[in-house]
Amino acid sequence: MSAPNELVVRETGAAQRADLERDRPWQVVVWNDPVTLMTYVVFVFRRLFGYDRETATRLMLQVHNEGRAVVATEPRERAEVSVAQLHAHGLQATLARD
Amino acid sequence: MAQISRQGELVQLRVSRGERKALLRILERLEPLVEESRWVRPRAYEDEGLEREYERLVVGDLEQARAQDLAQVRDLLESDQRILLSTDQAMAWLRSFNVLRLALAERLGIKSDGWEDQFSPQEHRRPPLATLHLLSWVQEELVEALEQA
Repeated sequence: MSAPNELVVRETGAAQRADLERDRPWQVVVWNDPVTLMTYVVFVFRRLFGYDRETATRLMLQVHNEGRAVVATEPRERAEVSVAQLHAHGLQATLARD
Repeated sequence: MAQISRQGELVQLRVSRGERKALLRILERLEPLVEESRWVRPRAYEDEGLEREYERLVVGDLEQARAQDLAQVRDLLESDQRILLSTDQAMAWLRSFNVLRLALAERLGIKSDGWEDQFSPQEHRRPPLATLHLLSWVQEELVEALEQA
């Protein structure tokens, strides 16, 4: 059995780290603004993320009372789609590494 | 006074000719503010490089979709047709009224919760604040009608 080539091992390690980084979940964070209606926020959370009314209302109140809430934790590409959908509905949303 | 209600799979807006004209005037006056609004164009990333990439790949599509939503609202208000909206159309109206509210509120200098107390009762009854309340009412009614599906 031959010893593994050092360069191959290094490259494989780098590729695995890149895969891990890509697969690392990101948080979808919604921020409070003083104008958007609470009923609308609950409605959008339910529609975009499929939450039941209780969960959507809890998250909306967290945004309102604490200034922000993590509404989803997803792989980066999916999280970016979620943020774009929230932006399309006029909500203040950002992505943050988990 | 306008009425918004569920009609089977559709949402019906019963608005008089005068109310249509008033809503069109509001749209005409607020659309330019939408273009300038910071709230309507929030950042997605703290990181500048990622944000530039997001702007390059996503923001143009969002702006185009927003313009299409507003155009749809305008076209229906300008027509003499009865306004019956599918769920997708009602969503376009909801999104439009939300961006109009954001843009107007930003122009009014609203920055934090409790802003209602910044203004006197008289100010609440007169434009532009009364316009903000009217847009809120339409939005609330649309949400209620959509939730009845």
